[in-house]
Amino acid sequence: MKISYNWLKWYIPDAPSAEKLANIFTYHITEVENVEHRVSNNTEDWIFDIKILPNRAHDLLSHMGVARELASLLNITYVDPTPKYKVPDAKPTKLKIEINTKKDRRHVGRIVRNVKIDPSPEWVVKHLASVGQRSINNIVDATNLVMFNCGQPTHAFDLAKVSGEMLNIRDAQNGEKIVLLTGEDKILDDTMIAICDGAGNILDTGIKGGKHAEITTNTTDLILEADNFDPIFARKTGQKLNIFTDARKRFENNLSPELALYAMQELSALILEMCSEATFEDIIDTYPQKQKERKLQFSSDKISKILGLQVSDKEIEDILKRYIFEYVHKKNFFTITVPFMRLDLETEEDMAEEIGRVIGYDKLEPKMPEIKLMPKTNNTYEKIYNARNKLLNEGYSEVMTYAFCEKGEVEVMQSASDKKFLRNNLSDGLKESIKLNKMNSPLLGMDEIKIFEIGTIFLKDKEEIHVAFNEGNKVIEKNLDEFQR
Amino acid sequence: MEEKITGKRHPLSILADEAYQTFSEMGFEIALGPEIETEWYNFDVLNVPKDHPARDMQDTFWIKNQKDKVLRKFCTSVSAREIKKAVKENRLPCAFVSIGKVFRNEATDATHEMQFHQIDGVMIGENISATNMKAVLSNFYKKMLGEKTYIEFRPSFFPFTEPSFEVFVKFNNKWLEMGGSGMLHPNVLRSVGIDPEKYQGFAWGHGFDRIAMVKWGIPDVRLFYQGDLRLNQF
Repeated sequence: MKISYNWLKWYIPDAPSAEKLANIFTYHITEVENVEHRVSNNTEDWIFDIKILPNRAHDLLSHMGVARELASLLNITYVDPTPKYKVPDAKPTKLKIEINTKKDRRHVGRIVRNVKIDPSPEWVVKHLASVGQRSINNIVDATNLVMFNCGQPTHAFDLAKVSGEMLNIRDAQNGEKIVLLTGEDKILDDTMIAICDGAGNILDTGIKGGKHAEITTNTTDLILEADNFDPIFARKTGQKLNIFTDARKRFENNLSPELALYAMQELSALILEMCSEATFEDIIDTYPQKQKERKLQFSSDKISKILGLQVSDKEIEDILKRYIFEYVHKKNFFTITVPFMRLDLETEEDMAEEIGRVIGYDKLEPKMPEIKLMPKTNNTYEKIYNARNKLLNEGYSEVMTYAFCEKGEVEVMQSASDKKFLRNNLSDGLKESIKLNKMNSPLLGMDEIKIFEIGTIFLKDKEEIHVAFNEGNKVIEKNLDEFQR
Repeated sequence: MEEKITGKRHPLSILADEAYQTFSEMGFEIALGPEIETEWYNFDVLNVPKDHPARDMQDTFWIKNQKDKVLRKFCTSVSAREIKKAVKENRLPCAFVSIGKVFRNEATDATHEMQFHQIDGVMIGENISATNMKAVLSNFYKKMLGEKTYIEFRPSFFPFTEPSFEVFVKFNNKWLEMGGSGMLHPNVLRSVGIDPEKYQGFAWGHGFDRIAMVKWGIPDVRLFYQGDLRLNQF
């Protein structure tokens, strides 16, 4: 995910230098794949390409998420933007939302009238460009900006093309069709969803919008929406329809449904900033599957035991405070209320990681385990070891060849190579090796090529370890258990 | 007197002998296992959820006409088999190390190969911690690459460990990524019949060819599997 340093600074004005930040990411959050220093028109920015870990993808695939994490980690100020999002007096609405599928856990919708579709202001274009996004028009850009800012995908329909001022979000039926915004035709099935209008027109697949209610330069009125979809649905639909949108990526990582309402407020404020004449109607919030509050208990003893590092209650409290976790502390035990965005925190082990990475894994001093182990010898390894030494002592050198070949008894379903079978003997590979090494024999300073391989071969319903070696051009191959000379 | 001419070992065998020696000295038991694995040992036991992207990832070789069979992607499956046995035989604490061929379905280049070797291991006991793992792996890399070698842990994520670390090795003043590691996830311990309230353990899986490449300056991973004796010079 691309993160702009300047964008982060909106929320964490006291952020350390970009160079320092790269190190902080690496040692406390995740790998930085690249940092690009961009200078244009006397302004400079640093773009971090960071590989957000799968267990944090639900809250860190956004600038606000990363800024929040850094503010807590570094104990610096986080500027909450919410008070700035002044939503004008909303008017009563006739918008009707029906959720008739379990795959949509929350839908936040609102009608906005009297917008003007224009190019975006320069700051919007710049922000989108900083994360590699092309500007389209002010409304589409606003929805994209919200996603890269807070992590919640949002969408805007042209109200004039939505029949009945209503949305019906239901399971799709086998064979239903939609034309996507890109113009591609897609056929839906009953594992997917269809977002429809009052007349049954399919407007959206959930992870990609359709052509029917597309925003055009003539659009004046909108329906805005922010959904929370089931992650498995998002992934499966994406796979089946071959859709790889940023929205899919976020939904399939299981977003908190709590985010949707915030995103609608931010989107509204952005649209107002770009279209000052716009009028906003009330938000319709349909939230059938409310995210439950979770408690998590852990002890400082267990954390210390997992890490192998004595972590005091005071250190833990300090971290919990910085991360704004509500907690109750009794003796060595902590009970936290898991923040709604932190879906990754489920067990004591998760807390050991949380505490450990904040403290820094460099604090883990290597300490040899003090336990008594009674290892047994491994018979197969002994046999391989002895067979190898025996052949080495007889002047044979060892080679390794490929397990994949053009014919055999066991086949793989798909392969990046044309060799789809697994070898059922070592001899074929060894013969090739003999040929190759004979050609090189002057270079190798060898009069005679003597080689062997010990490896696994694959038969119809079992695998065996074989030993193969040559006598001149003749190759002798035996099962490891039968290998005796 | 006639001089005895002995053959030369493959570099990966030289390194494997040294690695096994090092781990044996630390009390680890050598574990070997099948290269075609069941889906259970390749994924389920490792706490990879049924609907997890890792399962349908293109880089798994699924076996045709053999339901639920794959070419193993790591040797952790071998450790899992051994731990189950150890639990049955009441042999806890325990520690296993396994060096073996693993398979990934991806295009090959100088640093990627469809077959390569991995060194995987686990240690399980009542008080086995992340600092213990750091000591064990640090000792291993010092033995492989020299006393001046340092290791560090960086944050990472794997379904089978919590906390999870990426292990980096400092060799010739450069940080190199060697592979994943972490404290065994309680679900993994439970699925091999161990009570996570009582026992803890660590596990790692690192690229083995990579260590040989770094140690001897071998530029291309594909050279290991050409059957070319020019490689046997160490």
